[in-house]
Amino acid sequence: MTKRIIPCLDVRNGYVVKGVCFKNLKEVGDPPTLAVEYQLQGADEIVFLDVNASVSGTKTLHDAVRKTAEQLFVPLTVGGGIRSFSDVRKTLEVGADKTSINSAAVIDPTLINKCAKSFGSQCIVLALDAKRVDDSWEVYTHSGTNATGLDAIAWAKEACERGAGEILLTSMDADGTKKGYDIELTRAVVRAVNVPVIASGGCGTIEHVVEVLTSGEADAALAASIFHFGQHTVAEVKHALESEGVPVRWGS
Amino acid sequence: MRVSIVDYGVGNLHSISKGLERAGARVEVIRDFSKLPEAECIVFPGVGAFGAAMEQLRPVSDEVRGAILSGTPALGVCLGMQILFDRSDESAGSGLSILRGDVRRLKGDRIPHMGWNDVQHSDDPLFDGVPQGSKFYYANSFVCHPMGKIGISETHYGETFVSAVRNGPLCGVQFHPEKSGSIGLKLLSNFVRIAEESA
Repeated sequence: MTKRIIPCLDVRNGYVVKGVCFKNLKEVGDPPTLAVEYQLQGADEIVFLDVNASVSGTKTLHDAVRKTAEQLFVPLTVGGGIRSFSDVRKTLEVGADKTSINSAAVIDPTLINKCAKSFGSQCIVLALDAKRVDDSWEVYTHSGTNATGLDAIAWAKEACERGAGEILLTSMDADGTKKGYDIELTRAVVRAVNVPVIASGGCGTIEHVVEVLTSGEADAALAASIFHFGQHTVAEVKHALESEGVPVRWGS
Repeated sequence: MRVSIVDYGVGNLHSISKGLERAGARVEVIRDFSKLPEAECIVFPGVGAFGAAMEQLRPVSDEVRGAILSGTPALGVCLGMQILFDRSDESAGSGLSILRGDVRRLKGDRIPHMGWNDVQHSDDPLFDGVPQGSKFYYANSFVCHPMGKIGISETHYGETFVSAVRNGPLCGVQFHPEKSGSIGLKLLSNFVRIAEESA
């Protein structure tokens, strides 16, 4: 198995927030165009995160997912604002390969069971936002605004028992700092569960990606800004990983 | 070649449809399964769960089995490959029993087996132009254990398992060619060619 590199696009009302600048390209805000560009760079998967999943935004998101699925031939995960079984169904139907569920799963953990049974565990991703509290980590929901009192490790295990097929783990302490992924948190979750873990939050350099996929033991690394502003291509990250002996996939 | 994609009512069929169209096929998504036995070519996509998919196919399973056994080309992807067999650890009840063998839980450390993994294949037309050791995208917790020598590729994850089968114009792949980038599209076009040549 290779380690996966996953660019994440923040989508609002069907457009990529702030747009993205690749080297030698003008700013683009169109999700399908960007997703396909990342595929050509060698991205192993793409994540769309709907950053303000309002009711009015849902249809435009679905249109963007549908257009993307018709052109993209690597997996697409869609998350943000998934509230119910029918939201999951609809998101898969319009072209997502996986859906990530965060707040709704905390509010009603049986949602994970129901979705895994109907659609298969492989398309149900638990999005887990965690913040350090003393010697452990607490689960946050609603885009990091709501402390749940749940222990992140215990919740990760429970979600897997209920049928989550993958964990998208975001460190709220690291997110936005560009100072590196939270290695300790990532490793703790990886060792606690038996599903793949995607590390997220804090990526600022290629070395950060290498670190989280080696000492952090993650199966995949999600990153946004290092790709979006043309700082690095996916291929550059993979070259660095390969030189460290980490198996990667070449091709597009 | 007109390809009928079976819609079990769950999951993304856009990528497999577009992938087959790029391979030169005309594609229709079939929800009225009574039309399936008459299809020119059938694709069972890789979305959903074994029991749920079979529940929907059950009313036409004898006719579909008959059509494929008498030569209708077909491709099963992931779950779509698994339902071609007799039974699965995933759900009670039988599969389509077009291929002999069963489907068992994969013995790996982390399940689902999710991500890109190697394929070691034999010299088979389904893999024409696909370099040995190419990586394909997988998202599976179960694998097929075919009886008889129909395996045309192997993959290792916890155990070595059969990752593709072919018996004439009937093909099954445990990975997702429609999610495996350009090499996956190559495999889909090989399938369409095999299907056309068998017609």
